[in-house]
Amino acid sequence: MSAPVIDISGLHKTYVSGLRRRRVEALRGVDLIVPPGEVLGILGPNGAGKTTLLKAVLGIVRPTRGQARLFGQPAGDPSARRRLGYLPENHRFPTYLTARQTLDIYGRLADVSASDRHERIPALLEQVGLASWEDARIGTFSKGMMQRLGLAQALVNAPDLVVLDEPTDGVDPVGRRDIRDGLRSLKRAGTTVVINSHLLSEIELVCDRVLIMNKGRIIRSGTVDDVARQGTGWRVEVDSLPEGVDTGSLPVRVEESGRALVVDDGQPTTLNALIDHLRASNVQILSVERHRPSLEAGFIDVITNGEAAS
Amino acid sequence: MRPFSGMTTLSGSLLLTFRELWAMRLTQAMLAVATLAWVLLSFAMNMDVVEGSLTALRIFGFETNPMEGAYDEATGEFVQQAVSLDSFVIGINTFVFGAAYFLGTLLGLFATMPLINGFLEQGRVDLLLSKPLSRARLLLGHLSGVWATVLVLAAYLVGGVWLTMSFKTGVWIPQFLMAIPIITLMFAVMYAVILTVSILSRSSGLGLVIAYGLIFFSIILASHEQLVPVLSARSAAIFMLFYHLLPNMAEVVVVQMQLVEAAAVITWYPLVSSLLFGIATYGFGFFWFSRRDF
Repeated sequence: MSAPVIDISGLHKTYVSGLRRRRVEALRGVDLIVPPGEVLGILGPNGAGKTTLLKAVLGIVRPTRGQARLFGQPAGDPSARRRLGYLPENHRFPTYLTARQTLDIYGRLADVSASDRHERIPALLEQVGLASWEDARIGTFSKGMMQRLGLAQALVNAPDLVVLDEPTDGVDPVGRRDIRDGLRSLKRAGTTVVINSHLLSEIELVCDRVLIMNKGRIIRSGTVDDVARQGTGWRVEVDSLPEGVDTGSLPVRVEESGRALVVDDGQPTTLNALIDHLRASNVQILSVERHRPSLEAGFIDVITNGEAAS
Repeated sequence: MRPFSGMTTLSGSLLLTFRELWAMRLTQAMLAVATLAWVLLSFAMNMDVVEGSLTALRIFGFETNPMEGAYDEATGEFVQQAVSLDSFVIGINTFVFGAAYFLGTLLGLFATMPLINGFLEQGRVDLLLSKPLSRARLLLGHLSGVWATVLVLAAYLVGGVWLTMSFKTGVWIPQFLMAIPIITLMFAVMYAVILTVSILSRSSGLGLVIAYGLIFFSIILASHEQLVPVLSARSAAIFMLFYHLLPNMAEVVVVQMQLVEAAAVITWYPLVSSLLFGIATYGFGFFWFSRRDF
């Protein structure tokens, strides 16, 4: 098995601030291994410790206890960061630079040779849809354009690991789709990606694995299916549900539109009983399909019910 | 993967600082002022020199007769006489040095405050720290950009004025060029204060206030020979402690004056102690920058 890209064990981080030495435990014993090529999504409410976890991996904050390793080297070792691309949340590029100058400077800082910069920068600007803006000052850019530029900056050194903190923040739906496509092509190329996002639909569409953090701990980790409500059910679409058809005796719920019924327990016997009942009531069935609850529903469940870490 | 090239990362850090200074219009403003100074000296000033003395000076066509007081050994009285050309050249150069040294430092520190704010801004510094260069190298790149810019500006102003005056009068005083490293070094010392306080407190405004305070306090420290004899033993000891610990910005002017007048420099101590203060402050700043979370 290949060596993990990220290897974290027993990571604690406590911030101490102010004259009263107020202590905030941002991380409380986090263990995490990210293998090469995985696309990992990190979810959690505000203040869960997601950004602190990413910053600890990158060596931007120093752990109070425990250790984090990046490509087998201690986090904070500059040489490990040569294979890393990072897009921070609320990044600030100098507004007087043009898009091309920004990528050139951050490419230099990432130790990209002049010939590679010359080759990659136009291609990256094309990839993120900023080719026609390459010589425009970024002070004139919209939030979405800045985010695309940030993503290009994170890729300028052709990294093996890309860490993205809220990559689709402020991006319009078309831009979000472009970023998702970009992430999928990174995945195809074998790049390891770690995404921290509040947009659960984004995570659901691109991630192999999801972990949910709350109060400095990982409280759930697994595939999207694992983290969404356990198991899948059935969705039965009907022409219309006449009044008087009573499904109260079956463990099903009716969608708000009144034109679909959902069997949450996923049992075939329940499904068949429902179909029999509907047919007996002369209801026209249009389709029967597998139904998976959304990641959002699972996330809210985990956070509100405080489920133990899996 | 090619071997790590420290020069590429350092060039990125330097370029970022240069572009920031250029974007702040600071460099252009300083270059414009320096150009104006030596254009003025070259074209707007005309001199009449008789036997090594300046008998008449015209600026923009307005004539004046520069005189200086001199002791007449025959009569034992002070008399007014034409200014010697050497004194005039030294006077002009010293004026330029003083303006660049005090005014340039005060304005320069004020103008570079946003530079430090930008460098330490959340969203910028964390991105910089994610790059494959050590924190020390990152900070060094930033500082090198600032130091190099100040060096170029000082060389342009002081060197330009020196060349203009030398060609115009035929009086060549190369020691005046020592003003270039002195201005640069003392600016670097005061910049250390702003940078380190900013890293510690996240407030470049506080750093600026402390740096200005030290500059003004150095004027008081420069009078130590007059003040110490009238102080109590305890107060004198405290005063001298400050004198030895803090930068002696005002007293460094004396060193430059002695250099220009080709006199032996009585003591380099003000410059040396200021540099030591700067090194210690930078050391503390680097240490803290390498340890803190962003």
